[in-house]
Amino acid sequence: MNDPVLSLQDVTKTYGDFTAVSEVSFSIPHGSIYGFLGPNGAGKTTIIRMILDILRPDSGQIAVLGHDSAMAVRNRIGYLPEEKGLYKKMKVWAIISYFASLKGLDRKTAKRRAHELLEKYGLADFAEAKVESLSKGMGQKVQVISAIAHDPELIILDEPFSGLDPVNQEVLEQLIRDIASEGRTIIFSTHIMQHAERLCDRLLLITGGRKIFDGTVSEARSIIPRRVTLQTATDITHLQSLPGVLAVHRNEEEDDAGEPTWDLHLEEHSDPQSILRLCFEQNMALTRFDYTRASLHDVFVHLVGHDAGEQTFR
Amino acid sequence: MRVIWLIALREYIENVRTRGFWLGVLLIPVIFAGIFLFSARLAENAPVRHYVLIDQSGQYEEAVASAIRREHQRRILQSFTRYIQQYRRPDADLPSVSADQASSQIDRFLNDAGSQEIATLDQWLSNGGLDNARQMAEPYLRDDAPPFEAPREQFVAVPPPEPVDPTASPEQIVEQMRPWLNDEQRLRVDGESVRLFALILIPDGVEEQIMVPGSEGLQPRAEGEGVQFWTGNLTDTRLPNAIEASINRNIREQAFAERGIDVSAVQNIQRMRLPLTRLDPGQEEGEESVSMADTFRQWAPIGFVYLIFISLMQSVQYLLSNTIEEKSNRIIEVLIASVTPNELMMGKLVGIGMSGITTIIAWLLSFFVFIRLYQSVETAMIAQVLDVLLGSDLIPWFIFYYLSGYALYAGIFLAIGSLCNTLKEAQSLMMPLMLILIIPIISMGFIAQDPNGTLARVMSWIPLFTPFSMMNRAAAQPPVFDLIGTSLLLLASVVLVLWLSGRVFRQGVLRTGQPPRLLELWRMMRARPS
Repeated sequence: MNDPVLSLQDVTKTYGDFTAVSEVSFSIPHGSIYGFLGPNGAGKTTIIRMILDILRPDSGQIAVLGHDSAMAVRNRIGYLPEEKGLYKKMKVWAIISYFASLKGLDRKTAKRRAHELLEKYGLADFAEAKVESLSKGMGQKVQVISAIAHDPELIILDEPFSGLDPVNQEVLEQLIRDIASEGRTIIFSTHIMQHAERLCDRLLLITGGRKIFDGTVSEARSIIPRRVTLQTATDITHLQSLPGVLAVHRNEEEDDAGEPTWDLHLEEHSDPQSILRLCFEQNMALTRFDYTRASLHDVFVHLVGHDAGEQTFR
Repeated sequence: MRVIWLIALREYIENVRTRGFWLGVLLIPVIFAGIFLFSARLAENAPVRHYVLIDQSGQYEEAVASAIRREHQRRILQSFTRYIQQYRRPDADLPSVSADQASSQIDRFLNDAGSQEIATLDQWLSNGGLDNARQMAEPYLRDDAPPFEAPREQFVAVPPPEPVDPTASPEQIVEQMRPWLNDEQRLRVDGESVRLFALILIPDGVEEQIMVPGSEGLQPRAEGEGVQFWTGNLTDTRLPNAIEASINRNIREQAFAERGIDVSAVQNIQRMRLPLTRLDPGQEEGEESVSMADTFRQWAPIGFVYLIFISLMQSVQYLLSNTIEEKSNRIIEVLIASVTPNELMMGKLVGIGMSGITTIIAWLLSFFVFIRLYQSVETAMIAQVLDVLLGSDLIPWFIFYYLSGYALYAGIFLAIGSLCNTLKEAQSLMMPLMLILIIPIISMGFIAQDPNGTLARVMSWIPLFTPFSMMNRAAAQPPVFDLIGTSLLLLASVVLVLWLSGRVFRQGVLRTGQPPRLLELWRMMRARPS
């Protein structure tokens, strides 16, 4: 139980001269929701394919559910690829049942499971419909269902939210939480930080094929300092001397209402209340006082920087 | 194994559910039945052809008329022969007294009609034609036989249209008749407007153009000499042939008469014949004579080659488009995460193979149903022949060559499919293979005529052609060396092709972008399984 569900050790994959993944190591504990973050072309899909043994790494070790190859435990893994597709002419229940039966369920059980899941996720009316008649979002739901129909222990979802409207994104988030609450391990890749922020226990951030962060969400947040934004006519540069304040900047970009805006960067665990108290004591006229925790988005931009735009697409 | 079966089952079910599959299953029998029924109907309803005869020589009008009568009688004889064959009482039901004699009489009639048409026709005419034949055949017909309906007259003489002067010069007559001959004007016959089929113009003094061998008259023929037969229809040559034969006979009879030779003695001499029996040394003693069924058995392999070809074409197309669908939809990625590429490939091979077999069985079944339901002389013959065929050793060979040929080509096409993202890309890769596939079809006729000749033997040893060529030769007892050698080579090639295709397939299915160049393909084949 304490063995990691998945571990990678110095995994490298190159395509000719192009290094898609470079010496990536990480391990995923049992029963967590794990997010793969990274800009387009960072190597997320390549890593996922290597985990699934669709691709072989050039060097390094991969262990999945205690085995060298995912093929040996393929019936215990569920997979939703990045580019979604289903057989257009098949009926919805049949396609779910087919994929489940390929994963080792007998045909009868597979059929029953398909109908159960369609019922559970509000698609019972579409069970007999052909895939080609479904909307894109609906088709994606069907595909997610077919990835989990065989009750896998490890579920890998590559960009599961792309192409879904906000309502369906929420449905999918709920579905992921449901599965996780049953003690299953979920890996999903995304470049939309809000989903990762809401769902993930742990994150892996990669760019240019290299791991640049691996840890919990709050660890990620702590990478960039907390920040208080003040708007006041008074010059507050002297606040820099306060304990816990790292820096004070005039934020010219937000000077909208005529009064200057100031950004105060705080140390981790410092108390923004003390700053507010000080402002009152000094009788400063505050038009704005914002205390923001760093968002994952900020972390992402901070870590990936502007290189992201220059990634070679693969 | 279980997974291969699951994939095969899905491929099979999905394929069988497509409209294209049913189209394929139904279209061939429908076309077959259509051609069969249509041609039968067409023969019954051949159009009536109207002709104008202008005989300025005044000698041959009767000969032409008799030629046309004779042609008509020939059709009646033919159709009466078919009628008897169809409604003849089984021998066992015949009144016992006359059974022997009767069946021999009618057998002789049928036999003669089949082998010696001209002689039979003469006999038919001198015996009183249809009326007499009816009387003769009457006792041997089944009770439920409908009355015989003689075919209509096919060639009907009409007088020349009004403005044409039959005594004018031939050139003028043709000029005047041109609008009718070119179908710009129509004739009125019994109040109906009909098209003129032909103008037969026998100019005055035509007898001077008779060519007599050994005399000076035998010179290269100039255009427009002799009897002129003007028609816009160049394909129907029955009438000109009949007229030519009849006039010539008339001339010859005159010549005989002039030299004091007995015409009927000559006719009898002309009817003398020594029959020829075709014998097959491969048959048991006493059964060497080559029957219809034997001939058919020799030609049946061609049917099987066609069957293999059509079914193969259909199957590989489906394999290709289906693999490309999975690739372009990216379904392949889920599949490859669930099953090994080899399992996927084998599953497809088996599934599509099953639907190919289903198609063939459906064709054969509908064929059987058709010949059971639609009873006629031809179908009765086909049914007999089929019985012979089913008992022969052609069927096991067909199954072997079908399956191995399928595996060979399916492997190649699956590999191609795995390398392409669109059908368009696939088509350029398919072209050379399609051309290769056409070769056995082109050479089929030559191989059938000389089944153990050099061409046949060389083609048999090329694995891509083995299934077709050896099937083609199957009825001709090919040498055991060829039989076993080519089979082993074929099986070895199937294994090799499937093994190589497996490697290409494994790497191809995840490829995106352009199909690989040859060098890259070579590398893919050599790569260790990843």
